[in-house]
Amino acid sequence: MSTLKLSKTAEKSKDPGVQIGDLIMLKLPSGEIKGIKLENTIINIGKVGSFHANELIGHPYGLSYEIKEKKLFILPTRSVEEVEDTDATNELINDGEFVQPLTADEILALRKTGAHASEIIKKQIEQHANYSLKTEYSKDKYRKRKEAKYAKFFTTIEPTLFNVCEYWFLKDQSRIRDLRMDSLSQVLNLGNIRPGGRYLAVDEVSGLLVAGILERLGGEGKLITICNSDSPPAYPILDYMNFESAISSSLTSLNWATAEEDYLPVLPPSQLPDDELKSERQKSRLNKRKAISDILNDTREELFAGEFDSLIVCSEYDPYSIIDRLSPYLAGSASVVVHSPYSQILVELQAKLRNLPEYLSPSITETWLRRYQVLPGRTHPMMAMSGSGGFVLHAIKMRVDFMTYAVNLAQVLQI
Amino acid sequence: MWSTAREVAAGDTVIIWLTRDLVQPLVIAPGKDFNTRYGNFKHSDFVGVPYGSKVVPKSGKGFIHILKPTPELWTIALPHRTQILYLADIALITSYLGIRKGSKVIEAGTGSASFSHSVARTVGSAGHLWSYEFHEARFAKAKEEFARHGMEDVVTIQHRNVCKDGFTVVDEVDSVFLDLPAPWDAVEHAKKALRKDCTTRICCFSPCMEQVLRTVSALNEAGFAEITMYETLLRPIEVFQIPQLPDVSVISEKLKHSEAKREEKRIRQIAANKQGKGKRKRDETGEEGAWDAGNEHAFNSKRAKTDKEDQDFIVSMDVMENSSSTVNAVGPSPSNETGNATLVPPPSKINIAKALTEVRGHTSYLTFARLIPIAVAPTESVALREATELEGVKGTITDNSVSTAGTTMSSTIESGS
Repeated sequence: MSTLKLSKTAEKSKDPGVQIGDLIMLKLPSGEIKGIKLENTIINIGKVGSFHANELIGHPYGLSYEIKEKKLFILPTRSVEEVEDTDATNELINDGEFVQPLTADEILALRKTGAHASEIIKKQIEQHANYSLKTEYSKDKYRKRKEAKYAKFFTTIEPTLFNVCEYWFLKDQSRIRDLRMDSLSQVLNLGNIRPGGRYLAVDEVSGLLVAGILERLGGEGKLITICNSDSPPAYPILDYMNFESAISSSLTSLNWATAEEDYLPVLPPSQLPDDELKSERQKSRLNKRKAISDILNDTREELFAGEFDSLIVCSEYDPYSIIDRLSPYLAGSASVVVHSPYSQILVELQAKLRNLPEYLSPSITETWLRRYQVLPGRTHPMMAMSGSGGFVLHAIKMRVDFMTYAVNLAQVLQI
Repeated sequence: MWSTAREVAAGDTVIIWLTRDLVQPLVIAPGKDFNTRYGNFKHSDFVGVPYGSKVVPKSGKGFIHILKPTPELWTIALPHRTQILYLADIALITSYLGIRKGSKVIEAGTGSASFSHSVARTVGSAGHLWSYEFHEARFAKAKEEFARHGMEDVVTIQHRNVCKDGFTVVDEVDSVFLDLPAPWDAVEHAKKALRKDCTTRICCFSPCMEQVLRTVSALNEAGFAEITMYETLLRPIEVFQIPQLPDVSVISEKLKHSEAKREEKRIRQIAANKQGKGKRKRDETGEEGAWDAGNEHAFNSKRAKTDKEDQDFIVSMDVMENSSSTVNAVGPSPSNETGNATLVPPPSKINIAKALTEVRGHTSYLTFARLIPIAVAPTESVALREATELEGVKGTITDNSVSTAGTTMSSTIESGS
């Protein structure tokens, strides 16, 4: 039994912004992103510092703050500065030379006095034997490297689908089965997810796919997921989206047993014979059971009634077995979209589907994404890039029952 | 936007899928004919047909697929008025700009409206798209198209040169998408149109690096942050079914077999030579005829004319001819030779895949940036301001985003290796 009602996050005011109870992502000077559940307490982010959560409440997401004596100061938008071209080269700079007389202990001592990052960096620059020999680009890089080490600022990251997906992709690509930001948005577009639509999904990517579909439904329409456990599925990534309950209420779940038409789910009785005594506690337990079994039955009915707009699969199970089970519930012209980190899985699937008249033009694409550094005079692709965002198969569900419909039987008979 | 009904009705825009490379829109107008090389139809044939059906013409020959339009199908079926945006770019832009139900979006120019249809679908009737096109004929066509597709409540299209005249909304939209030859001229206007109470975003779509550089500096001057750039592509993959690849042990068996045969032949040759020159010709033809095919016969009579010194060379030729012909002749083995039995390939087939030989290599660069909200007045840290004024440290805290993005990537690589 796995009918799901997500835990309701607190209703938000009209003005979006950081709220107590939100799961917020903070970007640190090192580039690292931390996810923190915001309680009404002191928040400690390691060597960057600590502050009281209150200070963020009501602020829009996306601001940068500097921590100074446990207080937050909003930083102004920073612009990229031109770096001057000089004649300097690294001709006279050799590796392994002793260039920095300032010891680690001395720097630590400086930091303990509460010295500002810029003061420490300034000191290091002053003491650096070869700093003046460096090119301006090299100086810029040196300062940034030091800043990432000593600066005490952070940025709150808006919980958009892109940001949440990127966070998880960098943190643990395998938990989202390589569903990179570009692949995810392709999957959602190919699935034609729109407010008011009705969708089927199988999500073994920690809830990332469900998060994407729910965000696009925006509380209008329906999503049924089929999961592999008898308890409601754990979609941990949903928490990062900080959805209002109106948005997450579009989702209900079945499992592979309760999604079978012939199967009669075993439910504890939700009614007792009238003559038995009912305490208040008993009554409330019975009501709860009834609510759960009602949702389950409604969800089953809705699934079996069919005519869903698309089926989206990001699963560890054989995709053909999933499509074969759920395809009867798809409307004619619906999309079937399958993402997999492995090309072989989709190649085998494509080979099967293309022989079946129910699936029009199953096709596979690999996604490719490259990021660039765009600094004045230093624009180039990043030296490291993500190797794969997985593969996507897309097909269109055809109605085989109406295949000869427009032969126009009446006319054929007359002829 | 478009029909969500189960069956086709008169007046619907439908997508006719003839082949993968021939997909076209059709507005159902009963009374009209629709003729294709896959059969001739009347529009009225389609009315009442459920979407997603194969439709067979009266002749009974051929069929077409009748599909419900989606923005993705529209992108491959639409009449091109300009270079258009495709799925990979549309999807990444939608996602990076955070476009979702209820979003308010600006796009300029409208072009062939491939992106417009996708955005209108995603934002729904709770959202809005302001679309601007400076080319009058393209504007008129797009306007007509939006009306026909029932998108007028979601899309407002205007004939306007936004680089010169700016946008028509102020502090209103969540994101701006610029697909213009000179996006830098519209950056300040875009800033005006974006709302200021939360983080908003911009994307500039340009095919050339020179355009990107000018755009980046315009964005930087206008106060946009986290300027970054992406390129995205799709690699289509083709699937083939082929017989299981043969094992090389088959080849080695074949080579051993032909080597043995060759040796046998050599010994026979020597014996024949010893039997005297006068009788040689007749004897050999008789023997060969019983022994092997006509091919061998011709070869042997040729060899008979050559000197003994050349024999080794000819023998090696023999091996090559033999092996290649048997690999081709896969059918039932012609004789009782045991070697040939193993040459029949296993019957099972395998599925293999590779990228298409020619694929799209570049569409455009996607330059993104963020506009930081100003709802809370910046309380700039005094210490920080003093610090940045210090000589030699100027610019220390500039451009955190780009450099940290680099660190993030490299740190992932390290942890992955």
